[in-house]
Order: sequence, then C-alpha cells, then structure tokens
Amino acid sequence: MRYYRPATTAQAVAALASQPHTSRILVGGTDLLVAVRHRSAQPTLVVDIKGVRDLTAPISVDEQGITFGPTATMGDVIAHPTVREWFPALVEAAGLVGSVAIRNRASLIANSANGSPAADTSPPLVSFNASVTITSVSGERTSLLREFFLAPRRTLCEPGEMVTSLRVPRPSPGSSSAFERMTRRRGVDLATCSVGAVVDADGAMTVGLGALGPTTLLGGPVAPIDLTSQEQLERAVDALLAPATPIGDIRAGKAYRTAMARVLARRAVLRAAARRTDPDRLTGRSS
Amino acid sequence: MIEQHGSEREALRTVGAPIRRYGGAARVSGQQDFLADLPFPDAAAVALVTLPVACATVTGIDGKRAMEMPGVIAVVSAADLPQPVPRFGISHQDRPVLADGEVLFHGEPVAAVVAETLDQAEAGAREVEVAFEERPGVYNVDQALATGAPLVRDPSRRPEDDENRDSNVLETALYEWGDTTAAAGEAAVIVENTYTFPMVTHFPIEPGGTVAVPTDAGGLDIYSPVQHPYLLQRTIATVTGLPLSQVRVFAPDPGGGFGGKQTPRLEPLLAFLALQTGRPCRLVLSLEQTFQMMRRAACRVKARTGFADDGALIFHELHCDFLIGAYADVAPRVMTKGSYVGAGPYRIPHARTASRAVMSNTTPSTAFRGFGAPQVAWATESQLDAGARALGLDGLQIRRRNLVNVGEAFFRGPYEATADGHWHEALEKAAELIGWGQPLAPGRGRGIAVAIKPGATSGLSQSLVRFLADGSAIAYAGTSDMGQGARTLWQQILADELGSPLDKIRVVSGDTGVVPFDLQTSASRSTVFMGNAVLEACRDIRKRVLALFAESTGVDEAMLSEAPGVLITPDGELSLLEASRIALGALGGEFVGQGTARMRGRKGHPLGGDAAFYEFNCTAIEVEVDVETGELLLHRHVSVSDVGTELNPIQVTSQDEGASIMGLGHSQMEQLLLDDHGVIRNLGALDYRIPTFKDVPVELITHGIENHDGPGPYGSKGISEGALLCTAGALGSAVSDAIGIPIRDLPLTPERVWTALHPDAADHPGGEEPA
Ligand SMILES: Cc1cc2nc3c(=O)[nH]c(=O)nc-3n(C[C@H](O)[C@H](O)[C@H](O)COP(=O)(O)OP(=O)(O)OC[C@H]3O[C@@H](n4cnc5c(N)ncnc54)[C@H](O)[C@@H]3O)c2cc1C
Repeated sequence: MRYYRPATTAQAVAALASQPHTSRILVGGTDLLVAVRHRSAQPTLVVDIKGVRDLTAPISVDEQGITFGPTATMGDVIAHPTVREWFPALVEAAGLVGSVAIRNRASLIANSANGSPAADTSPPLVSFNASVTITSVSGERTSLLREFFLAPRRTLCEPGEMVTSLRVPRPSPGSSSAFERMTRRRGVDLATCSVGAVVDADGAMTVGLGALGPTTLLGGPVAPIDLTSQEQLERAVDALLAPATPIGDIRAGKAYRTAMARVLARRAVLRAAARRTDPDRLTGRSS
Repeated sequence: MIEQHGSEREALRTVGAPIRRYGGAARVSGQQDFLADLPFPDAAAVALVTLPVACATVTGIDGKRAMEMPGVIAVVSAADLPQPVPRFGISHQDRPVLADGEVLFHGEPVAAVVAETLDQAEAGAREVEVAFEERPGVYNVDQALATGAPLVRDPSRRPEDDENRDSNVLETALYEWGDTTAAAGEAAVIVENTYTFPMVTHFPIEPGGTVAVPTDAGGLDIYSPVQHPYLLQRTIATVTGLPLSQVRVFAPDPGGGFGGKQTPRLEPLLAFLALQTGRPCRLVLSLEQTFQMMRRAACRVKARTGFADDGALIFHELHCDFLIGAYADVAPRVMTKGSYVGAGPYRIPHARTASRAVMSNTTPSTAFRGFGAPQVAWATESQLDAGARALGLDGLQIRRRNLVNVGEAFFRGPYEATADGHWHEALEKAAELIGWGQPLAPGRGRGIAVAIKPGATSGLSQSLVRFLADGSAIAYAGTSDMGQGARTLWQQILADELGSPLDKIRVVSGDTGVVPFDLQTSASRSTVFMGNAVLEACRDIRKRVLALFAESTGVDEAMLSEAPGVLITPDGELSLLEASRIALGALGGEFVGQGTARMRGRKGHPLGGDAAFYEFNCTAIEVEVDVETGELLLHRHVSVSDVGTELNPIQVTSQDEGASIMGLGHSQMEQLLLDDHGVIRNLGALDYRIPTFKDVPVELITHGIENHDGPGPYGSKGISEGALLCTAGALGSAVSDAIGIPIRDLPLTPERVWTALHPDAADHPGGEEPA
C-alpha cells in the first residue's frame, strides 16, 4: 500500500486516475482505516488530500448558502456560528457522530462520500437540498446530493474521482430543522434509523431518512398541516416516510425499525416546527 | 486463617486509606507495557487459519501454496503435532492443541502459519487450503437438547459409564432439600416462568496474546497476560513433556481479564510452534479473536416458586440449562457453583435446583465475573418479584421477609451454608439510598434485588517478602494485577506491617521463575488468600528481626515483642528498620519472610469445600422508560456490598462501579448473535454493544457495609464480583414496575422493551431475523 500526499487537486486526481479501482482518498481515515484493518478495503494507493493547497476552504459563507470543502470536520461544522444558525439539524447530526476524538477527524464530505445509508449527516443535508461537486482529470460536474447516492457504498463519485465541495443553500426565511436518531445505546453507535426534518415558514415539510433504505432518502415535500391535529400529523408522517423501505438486520427487526421511523419523524417534525418561533439555545431560526 | 487483634487494627496507617493505584500512573498514561508492547526482535509472527462455519469435518489441509509465499517459515496443522494430538483442560482434557479432524466452533483454528512478518503470516494463512464438510451444529439450548440433536462430542470420546454419553449434556448438578412437590400444597401463590440469559463475551480492552520463546536449555519461556500463570506453566509442561523447571511463564499485567484470561487456549499451540521452528513465536489477538476465545455461558432457567400469604417462601424449584460451548473449559464448575447459590440468599424450607451443562457448537464458555451466579439470580430475583406482585407486596417487603439473618442457612442439608454477614444491613442501606417508597415521577419504576456468590472453596497462595537494609521492601506475590489493584494492597500491608514508606515498596508478580506459587487469580480470592500470605510473611519478618535482635544484643527474647512496624524492647519501641540494623550488625543483609495461606477442600461437599466467604450484594435501580421507543434512562443505580473491611476505599468503589456497569452490559445490551452456521454475526466492537460512559446511570452510588467479619487481612472479604450479581434482577424489576409488564429475556434492549409494550407488532427482533 503506497501513501501519497499531493499538494494540488490536479496531482490528487491524476494520482487517483492512475489506478482508479485500487486507489482511495484519505481524509480523517475514520471509515477508511477501519475498512483496511478489516480488509473490506484493500487499496494499493492511498491519496491523503489534507495537504492539498488549492482545496475549497473548509467552510465559507455567502448570502445564498454555505460551501464546505473536503477537510471540514464534524467539529468545524458544530462550532461554526452560521451553520448553527441556519442548519440546526446538521449541527445535531454532526454532534452525534462518534465521539469527540472521532468528530475532530471525521470529515463532513466523507460521511456522504463513504456511501453508508446510516451516515448521520446525509439525511439533514439531503433535506436541505445540498449538492456536491465532483472533480476528475476530465473536469467537474455538480449533482444534487439526493441523486448522488446510488446504492450502499456506491455513489456518483466514480473510481478516480473526488468530491471537491458540498454546497448547502441558505434555508428559506422562517424555516427550521431538527435531527433525530435511534441507536442501541447512548454512547458511540451507528444509527438504527434517523430522520432529519425541515419545516418551512408556511409549514411545508421535507425529511431526509437514514438507514431506512439502501441509501439516504428524501421524503416529501408535504404540504402544510395543522400540527395540533394528531390525525393530520400521522397522515403527514405517512407521506414523509413513503419512500422508506425498512428491513430487519442485526441492529433492529423490521417491525421495530418501521415503528421507530414514525416516532423519529414525528419528533423531528414537531421539534423543527417549534424551533421556527422559539429557537432554542443550541440553534437558531433562519432569517 | 490468621487471627485479628483489635489493637493491631488501630495501629494501621495505610490500610483503610484511599491509596492511589500501584502502577496506576503508568497504566493511564500509556506507559505500561502490555504483551503487545514487549519487544521480541527475533520473533516470528503467527496467523491462524479458521473456517467460515462453526461445525465441520476437516478432510484435508494443504499448506503447499502457503509454504511458497514470501517469508513463510512453517505451516502447522494437527498432523504436524505429536499423535494423538495432545488435549488439555481443567476438569476434562478435551481441547486439542489444534482442531483435529473437526471444527466445533466458529474461530477454532485448524492450522497456524509462522512467518517473518505478520503481513506474511496472514497472507500465508489465506493460501492454506482447507477441505471441509459443514455439519449440522447446535447453537442454542433448544437445539442442543432436541431429540436426535447432532452431538457436539462423539460418544466414543466419553466414558462408557457416563449416563449422558448419548446427549449434549456434559455434566449435571442437583441440590435438593425438603420436598418441593409435597410443599406445593402449602403455598398460597405459585409462580412459574422461564428466563433466559444471553451469551456474552468478556471484552477485555487488551485482547492479549502469547509469545513462546525457546530457551538455550531446551525449555520454553511463555509470555501471556494470564490470570493463572502457574496453571499455564503446568499445562505447557504437560502437553510438551517438559519439566516444570524448564517452563517459565511471564505474565505481563492483563489489560482486563474478568475471568476470560484464566485458562490456557492458544498457548499450547504457540509452545509447539516455537519448539518446531526454534524461533520465538508471537501471536497478538484481535478483539474479534477474543470473542471467539471467551464468553459467559448462556442460560435458560425454568422456575417454579411457592409463597405463603405473607410472602414467605415455601418452595423454590429451578431447572437451569447452561449453554457451555464446544469444550468443557471450567464451564461445568460454573454450572455447579452458580447453581449452588441459585436459590438465593433466602430462607427456603423446600428447594430443588437441577442444572445441566449443555454442550453446543459455540465458543467454549469460561469463568466470567459472577461465575454462573448472575444467570440464575436473574431467574430467582424475577420470581421473588412475581410472587410479590401476586401477593400485593413490594420488592423490598418480600426480600425483607425471606433474606436470611447472619448465621442462618440458605443452603440446607449435611453441607449447609449460612450467611457470613449482616446481609439485611445491605438490603436496608440500598433501600434507603434509592429512596424506596418515595413517590415516583410518571414513566418511572424502581426495582431492588439481592444475590450471593461463593468465594473460593480451596486455595493456596504463597508469598515471600524481603525487608532490605534501608527499610525498603519487596513482596513476591503471584496474583495477576489485571486492573483490580492487587499490588496496591500488598504494598499497603507491607507499609503497615513493616513500617516501610509506600514508595519504597516494590511488588514482583507475573514470573513463575522467581515468584512462589499461587493457585490462581480468580473468585475474588486474592485479597483474602494472597493478602493473608503477604501478611504472614511480614509477621514472619518481624519474628526474625526479634530473634536476631535478641541474639545480637543479648537481650532475652522473652523481654521483646513486636507489633506492626516496631520492635518493643525493655528500653522502649524501636522502628523495625532500626531494630533490623542493630540485629543485622556490621555484615548487613536483609530479612526474608515467608507466608502461606492454604485452605483445603472438604470431602463430600458438592463444591469440594465450603466457600471462604460469600459476596453479598443488593442493587436497586430507578429507571425511566420511553414507551414510544423502549429506551431506558437509569436515573439512579445503587449497589451495596457486604465487604468486611475496605482495605482501600477507592479500589472498592471502583470495583463496585465497574461491576455495576458491566452488569448493565448483560442486562441492557450485550449478546452474541449467531447465524444459521453458528458464525458470530456481531463479531467486533461495531455491533456488539457494551456500555460506554454515556450509558452509565445519571447517578451511580456504591456503598460498602463494613463489619470487619471477613477471613482476609483485617477482616476483609473479596469484593470484585458482587455488584453485577443481581444488576439484571434490579433493572428487570424496575422496568416491569414502570411498564407493568415483566420481561423475562435479557438483554432489555430498547427493542425488547418496545416489543413487550407492543406484543402484536413484533416480528423478529433485531439480530434474530434470519440473515
Ligand atoms: C468509532 C467510530 C464511530 C463512528 N460513529 C459514526 C456515527 O455516529 N455516525 C456516522 O455517520 N458515522 C460514524 N462513523 C463513521 C465516520 O466517522 C464518518 O463516516 C466520517 O464522516 C468519515 O470521515 P473521514 O474523513 O474519517 O473519512 P475517511 O475514512 O478518510 O474516508 C471515508 C471514505 O470516503 C472516501 N472519501 C473521503 N473523502 C472523499 C472525497 N472528498 N471525495 C470522494 N471520496 C472521499 C474515502 O476514500 C473513503 O472511502 C464512525 C467511525 C468510527 C471509527
């Protein structure tokens, strides 16, 4: 296994292109090194992009949204004041990834690029209508994150390519969001299922669904409802969860996972909705 | 045992104080050398070849391709070992050094590859071609006991007069007094239920491993972080035919053991590899491999219990099936000892406990903190609650009614066993600390449970202490310090008995070449056994100082006496150091003291002897249940143990806290899940869940009851297992109090609690659905 630390994006993608099927990008290594140890990944070339000088900056804010670069860590995401104000669900999700030590290494982009249907930050990002830019020796292209996920461990980012930025548009005024995750224990664990919800000022709702299908899924949008009506809420949850195809696996049986998706969707929607008018300390309301 | 005198206790200085852990700074700062850190520049690496199934006939092993791989030194399978392939074990010598024609559990090695580097050994192992035919195996109690079940052990390998020869039952135990059948008529209420306890693994943070080094003299040095270096020494000597004097075991401190590092497993293989290749051979286990090497026996208990109107136990009947795995290890003993106290610390006129050790094609189960008691206590404590519910009593009332008083028998018959402590004090203290009877917030429940575990029933610990010319001292004590802090106690005892400053005392352990014999570090015995041996060695030194002082000074021995740290002369007290200097005179030198603690067994006793002491614990828990998700939040967890004397309060607290949290593991989340081929599906840290610090109860309170009534130094008892004996019972009771539904299968995962609340919705719980 060769370790290579390029100085430019051009060098990085050239190296990846030189052996597309046996090279892997390394950022925090919190997925890759575990996979190498278990031999589920056996790269012959590891391209560490942390030394690349012309990478998109970790976090840059403009009027229309926030752009994340490949080295933005979960810790960076959680600490950034504008991210906290605009994307409370993302902050909640990033804050649940692993432990402090993991969050200081784990990169936001890799969490999605790794292609796990259980990745915590992908559901909120999908619900925020995020998009990614993919770069290779033959140029750049941009895709919506919800179309980026093809199958477990398979994304639009082909062998030899690299995700160079993640763009999240500024949420509409008066909207807010929340993230809910179910795990088997309180400490470090992967999601049994998760739901990130966005509720707009007018009450329209969108969700991102984690570990409820082969990839991160988008649910909704669903038209505004009277949130105090139990019946309307249940119908909205039905619609939001329509794309979900929960299975039984080692983390949960199908019946339980299905039931938990409902609980989490309900809780996430209600918390996001409440946050629109009554922002809690951790996060803010989009203005 | 050594007599205690009140005046001696008063003179103590460090015992009873919260002395910091001996070697603790190195341990927490990463400086301690674990096995994997030890340098062996010339060592060859070992990789194991295993099969992707649990039960198979091996028809051929071809190492030719592997031998051609770079760096490969040897490929060894059973055919390359002495024939018949040597087998070893404690009570049954049934475990082959390498799988011999058949594999009986997932992870049992069929061959080993020795190479210059680990990568080369692993690459070589992947090239070893193993031809095998999978056989139907048995992976749970039902399968193993079904009529016509495949037999884990061929009857031809079992004694002809063994009545269970044609079944998977390896051993049975029966404890019975009174007449449970006749007594049923007297009961006002009878409750009958089945309880299950899962297979769980020890999960030591240090997986461990072995390095076997051939010596110039033709012997072997074995490095392995084991709890019983002397057992390992004997096992290696036996399988290789070497004399004990040619086998030296170095046991670096285990990074957690919990019983999982007691019995030899791969060390005999490493010994043969080293002898065959003439090279030091090194194998460091992965966490996944430890899962395949050690676990606690799963257990199914069918219980039937009768109570009088007032809650008094009339009879208690238990059928316990321990799923022990593919080889005996110490599991039959776990079954007999765990069942012995299975009926609980109660006053029961009629009792019957019938238990079986049932073989299965799973990792051989072994000793694990609690040694069989937690499995049965789960059933007994849940039965007490079931009786209480039926009679309109609460958990505290029914235990108050039935718990034995000091000196009263909880096990009846010719080998009766009685309470060796004031156990009611622990019950009442726990009730007070949990706030028993105070109003509960909605969604919450409270539970209380008790349990006991017998300490060692025989033992031998020997110790040497050297009191050096400058007043510093060295204790040689074979106890393995696996995190319990044994060495700290020896240091404290030496400090007090010899008057040496703590920082001038060294403790040497983990080397059979220089440290005298100790039977084992198990059953929370060391404080009592090795503690008494160390204490005796210190007193031996004082007697020798006195005698030599008399000889050197001409003072009549009868005019002299000694006490902790001092020699008392007609002219007043001398520090032991001063006295020893005068005694030794110009030549100098040192004093060497020897101590032995020996407890013989008792003939005919079902456990081979009376327990030296009992660990008694009462645990009480207040839990909040999220009825939508089944998640539990433990608001308060109280653990009160009967400890005799706290020789070191921080260590007692940390043992009790550690055991409480470990108990929450099997109560709330831990379980090994197998697929249809007996392969462990949650092999590793990702899907086998143990509690993290975030899973610790909001408030965790431990307390020790001190009546100075133990057989160990200064009235101490062993303490390190008590706090997990009845965690499951207390939690189960609290959860059923909160949700109004008892759950009888562990662990109480959110999914299981939710399923209990939604009986119609459930299909297959997680992990139980066919893959
Ligand atoms: C103990 C532990 C706990 C964890 N807990 C959680 C959790 O709670 N929730 C959760 O979602 N995840 C969790 N993870 C997984 C992991 O931390 C996250 O997925 C993390 O975001 C990955 O980031 P990284 O920088 O470490 O990725 P790396 O390991 O460096 O890379 C991961 C994969 O993505 C590829 N990759 C990286 N960057 C790019 C890029 N720019 N373009 C294309 N491909 C790229 C790599 O080649 C590799 O295949 C945990 C991991 C560990 C070890």
